[in-house]
Amino acid sequence: MAGLRLIDLAKPIFTLLPEVEVPFEKIPFDDKVVYTIFSALIYLFAQFPLAGVKKDAADATIKDPIYFLRGVFAAEPRTLLEFGIFPIVSSGLILQLLAGLKVIKVNFKLQRDRELFQTLTKVFSLLQYFLLTNIFIASGYYGVDLTWVHIFLLNVQLNGAGLFASLLTEVIDKGFGFTSGPMIINTIVIATNLVADTLGVNQISVDAEGNTEPQGALINLFQGFRAKHKTFLGGIVSAFDRDYLPNLSTMAIVLCIGIIVCYLQSFRLELPIRSTKARGMNNVYPVRLFHIGCLSITFSYVLLFSIHIVAFAAIVLVGKNNPSSLVCKVLGHYEMVNNILAVPTFPLSMLTPPRSLIGGILSAPLSFIVYPLFVLTTGVWFAYRWQAISGGSARDLALDFKEQGITLTGRREQNIAKELEKVIPSASTTGAGLLALLTIAGELLGLKGKAAGMVVGVAGGFSLLEIISMDYQQTGGDSALSGVLGTPTNF
Amino acid sequence: MAGEKGSEKQLLDTPLEFIRDGNQFLKKCKKPDTKEYFKIIRAVGIGFIAVGLIGYAIKLIHIPIRYVIV
Repeated sequence: MAGLRLIDLAKPIFTLLPEVEVPFEKIPFDDKVVYTIFSALIYLFAQFPLAGVKKDAADATIKDPIYFLRGVFAAEPRTLLEFGIFPIVSSGLILQLLAGLKVIKVNFKLQRDRELFQTLTKVFSLLQYFLLTNIFIASGYYGVDLTWVHIFLLNVQLNGAGLFASLLTEVIDKGFGFTSGPMIINTIVIATNLVADTLGVNQISVDAEGNTEPQGALINLFQGFRAKHKTFLGGIVSAFDRDYLPNLSTMAIVLCIGIIVCYLQSFRLELPIRSTKARGMNNVYPVRLFHIGCLSITFSYVLLFSIHIVAFAAIVLVGKNNPSSLVCKVLGHYEMVNNILAVPTFPLSMLTPPRSLIGGILSAPLSFIVYPLFVLTTGVWFAYRWQAISGGSARDLALDFKEQGITLTGRREQNIAKELEKVIPSASTTGAGLLALLTIAGELLGLKGKAAGMVVGVAGGFSLLEIISMDYQQTGGDSALSGVLGTPTNF
Repeated sequence: MAGEKGSEKQLLDTPLEFIRDGNQFLKKCKKPDTKEYFKIIRAVGIGFIAVGLIGYAIKLIHIPIRYVIV
């Protein structure tokens, strides 16, 4: 215990932060389902419009600079959850990665250290909420000439919602629900957005004359038949290619991506195993292609988000978004598009997926090289590191095998770790590479973050389904839901 | 000079090796058959749409609230 460790910084705050208690006894299956779904639904309900700012961003000088990153972090513009779960995800991922790489010294065997680490993660995420809020306020995103009262109220709203969201994810993480909190929230928010984008009936005004179009792409097609401001044929064409709201072509691509993720998810390498205790007990142990799930994409997007926010702060706060200032010459500046988006120019645009395929190739060809390279390399690097430090590494699995009294058929017990070492790193890196390619392909077609969101959402939904059905088989026999789900059988 | 060439080769080798490794792994993988695949898509699809519809219903509540508080 020589010197001060980073986690010791959390000591004085440890008692101040509200915390969710670990459940006393095992939560029954039904309760877990209810906790899981309701936490995510509460999160959805918490996407309240911000009080005290104008409904449309008409008078703000700066529009939305992170529009293409919102899909992955369940962030809704101009609501309480402006930044979604980004601070929670990023502080969790980055601190755990640093601890795993031994940059931060934590002894996870000590309960005290684990608690401190947890508090540190929470403090770090709250700090990020605070910083993000004030960067956005200072940039003029919520309108210029805000009074002190306004600024104070915005801070209370956004940071309060951040604390609330982090407690909400903690409820699931601490064992009241299935899998991890951010993943559930992401999945359900993405599912909601998918439904809203195809079937949404809420009307949004699209031009100065007050004509409205529905949010849902499919509904828009039907409503286009009798809209007054469009011809019949024009209605059909615009249903497929409008760029201010979701259109049918992007929805088709998003669905395709979801289907491909489902296909890749069920790739697995089956290692033959046998029991060391009973004879003739042969089985297979599946090593999945997505050994670490969609975390690699999340990590790439955490990095992208951080880079863009730092650049945004520098450009808008230091350079005043003035193309002739020094900062803007180095980093590029923001141009407002369609009155809702702030699109960065070269060189920051290299890390921004294009808004449409054709327009992107013509105006920013470099982003077709740099952005894919960035997502691919960070994703694969992360996958390689993460599989070694998370609980699913070859060494941990070998220990699990030993505890459960199973071994790989035809291998000596001492060699299990070595044998797994051959498989698991290549499984996680290959999986991460494929997911990155899929995301890149979708994003380059101009989906503005929907592709990445869909990849994360479907992968999350898939693992949720898997864990729920596994838990159901083990403990759900007397569940009240068995009428709906059927008797516990193999999924 | 020789060292430079070596590092250049290594720089090229790493991605190539990664691709070869990945291909090998994919070849060994068990892929889902059509029946299993449709079952998965149906399960994920139904789950997604069901949850999405509930979520969207909640979001619709926000629209009147928006008019009240803004």
